[in-house]
Order: sequence, then structure tokens, then C-alpha cells
Amino acid sequence: MAAGDEQLMLAYREGDAGAFEELYRRHRGGLFRFVSRSVRERAVAEELYQEIWMRAIEARGRYEIQAKFTTWLYTIAHHRLVDHWRKKGLQVVSLDTESEFSAQPGYEPEGILQAKQGLERFARALDQLPPAQREAFLLHHEAEMSVAEIARATGSNEEAAKSRLRYATAKLKEALGDD
Amino acid sequence: MTDERDPKLQSAYRALGAEAPPRALDEKVLAASRRAIEVHPAPLVAPTGRRSWSVPLAAAAVLALAVGVTVHMQIEQPGIDGLPPASERDRPEEVAKSSPPAVKAEKPAIAAAAPPASGGELRAKPAPEAQVANPARETTANTAEAGPGTLLEREQRAPEERAKPGSDRSLARARDMATEAPAALAKRADAAAQPAAETPDRELERIADLRKQGRHDEADKALAEFRKRHPDFKIPAAMLERVERR
Repeated sequence: MAAGDEQLMLAYREGDAGAFEELYRRHRGGLFRFVSRSVRERAVAEELYQEIWMRAIEARGRYEIQAKFTTWLYTIAHHRLVDHWRKKGLQVVSLDTESEFSAQPGYEPEGILQAKQGLERFARALDQLPPAQREAFLLHHEAEMSVAEIARATGSNEEAAKSRLRYATAKLKEALGDD
Repeated sequence: MTDERDPKLQSAYRALGAEAPPRALDEKVLAASRRAIEVHPAPLVAPTGRRSWSVPLAAAAVLALAVGVTVHMQIEQPGIDGLPPASERDRPEEVAKSSPPAVKAEKPAIAAAAPPASGGELRAKPAPEAQVANPARETTANTAEAGPGTLLEREQRAPEERAKPGSDRSLARARDMATEAPAALAKRADAAAQPAAETPDRELERIADLRKQGRHDEADKALAEFRKRHPDFKIPAAMLERVERR
């Protein structure tokens, strides 16, 4: 039976480099997609992705099993994204608002224009979600987190997390013509 | 809403593609993870364990240092305030043997002439009869001998205190030093204020010698001068017989 993520992180904390390699292999894709679909620009996404792992490496000495490893890792990612948005001048309070920068006129999502029409609408809708709602959706579908885990990773309460997820789901289903 | 995922949304999301970080980025992260372990190897003993003995060790070191400094200060204290070293104070019988009472009675005068650094005043233990026959000494030592902590009493107490365990003796000595210090300073100030020549006792002895040698005129003159200088001094009867013309 494969070791759990938490045991691997503890093993890495004790100096087992192989444990980290296994952890990284398991979560590299999910975390990368979470970041790249949150910030859109590929170069920025790669930079943020690397920084998130660096922070996880630096914080290994303080790691304790208090929650799932993914919750811990995506909490680090959330904080790094919030920092990034702050630097871009986007207020954290606006994470839930509809009038944030992705919906500004002239904004053109890149990379998915060749997709089928329905998928294109879905991608566009995902891109245009307010950051907090998009984050909740990505944590739910990419990191496979429950509402409680999303609340914990984003430092909010379950009601807020549930609400964000519900709004995001409704909009994306509408984009798919499934409302 | 439950934690269940909508299958249609799930499949649409999966259809967006499975992007992955470039291999170069993977290598950077993995290299950093290995470097972190090499540079800062994880402790074999949990940090809490290390702290558990390092804190008491530091506390013990501080305590030992504090005790050492305190003992050192106690040892050095006699040299600072002019008291004799502890070794001398612990051997009063030797002091008594080497200097008879009469000689000891003269010590204050010597001490008065000499600078106060000798500390002889505090060490001198006048014989009881010398004290009775010599009220001047009482006047001189008035300040120091007033109250419960007189030198005489302290000297009488000394053997008992020396019999006590070491720590009690040290405490008693420290207490004595604290009470003696102001008195000793006062005595030294009195002595410095007096003429460096003689004490009344010594002066009377000198007059008695003159009388004994038959130099009565000189003795009369000296006695008159003495009475002029010390109008309140009551000459003991025994001494009066020796200094007055018969």
C-alpha cells in the first residue's frame, strides 16, 4: 500500500528526498493547472508555481499532520495567489465581485480558442469567473476538495465557500447550456 | 449543495486539458528540495527534545555564575571596607596572645596617627578593667559602641558565631560588616579630627611619669594644660593619685 501524502511529507521533513519526489509527482499537474487557470499568463503561472513549491519546502520543518496534505499545499498556493493579486492592484475583497479585471472590455482569453464551441464557452466562463469563485471551483474539481477543505484552504467559512462554489457551478453550467 | 461533483462539469473541465509544468521547472523544484535537505539536514533529535535540555542547562549556568560572583564579593568585602580578612577575624585568641591589653589600649592612638586603612580600631579588644579605668575611650568609641552591635559584644559573640555552620557564619559576618562599616567610618573621622599627638590616657601616663621622675613643675604645667584641654574628662582616682602633686 502506497504511503499517504501526509506520511510522505513527514518523511521529507526528516530528510527523505525520495518522499518529496513522490509527493511532487502526485501533485505537480493539479497544482500547475490550479495556478495557470487562476492567473492565465503562462510565465507568471510558472513563476508562482515554483514559488509555491519553494514555500512548501521551506515550511517542511513546521509541517504537522493537522489536515490533508493537499489542504496544506493549496493553502500555501492560495496565499501566494492573494499576494499576486494584491501586487496587481486587485483588492482581496473584490474576489467575490463580478466586476473584476477578467471581465473588463477587451479581455481575450488565450490558449483555448481552438477548442470546440461548447468547450470554448466553458473555458471562457471559467476564465471570467470572479477569482474567489474560480478558486473554489478549481479546488473542488482539480484538487478534489470538499467544501470544508476549500473553506480551510482559503481561510473563509463553509457558508462562503459553499456559496462561491454554487455560483461558479451555476455560471459554468449556463455556459455549457445546461441550466 | 453537497460535495458531489457535477459529472457534466467535471468532464468539461477535464476536456480543457491536462496541462503540466515544463520539465525544467520540475528539475528546479526537485533540485531545491534536495538542496534544502543537504544544507539544513533535519535534526535527528526533535527540536522540542533539544530545547528540553538546553534551557535547564542555560539556567544552571546562570545560577552557578550568580553564586560564584556572590561568594567572590563576600570574600573581597573585608578588603574594601577596611575590615581584616576573614582568616584574621577567625583567630582572636592569637591576636590576644601576641598583644597584651595595655598595648592593645594604645592601638587606637596609633590608629589615629596612622591612616585608617589598618583597621586596628575594630580589631582592638580592650580589657574590661582598662575600659572602666578609661572612660575617655568610652567617649571616643561612643558612636560605635552605642546600640546592640557594639564591638565588645560582637567580639564576645564571635566564638559562638564561629561555632555555627559555615553559611550562618558567613551571614553573621556579612551582617557585622554591614553594621560596622558606618561606625568604623565615623570613628576614623573622629580620629582624624583629633590632634595627632596623644590620647587623654596616654597624656596622663606621661604626666604620671614626670611626677615619678620628680619633675613636678613640668607635671603641674602639663596637668593644668590637660584640664584646660579636657574640662569634662573625669580622671580616675587611681590615676589622680599618680598625676597630682602630693
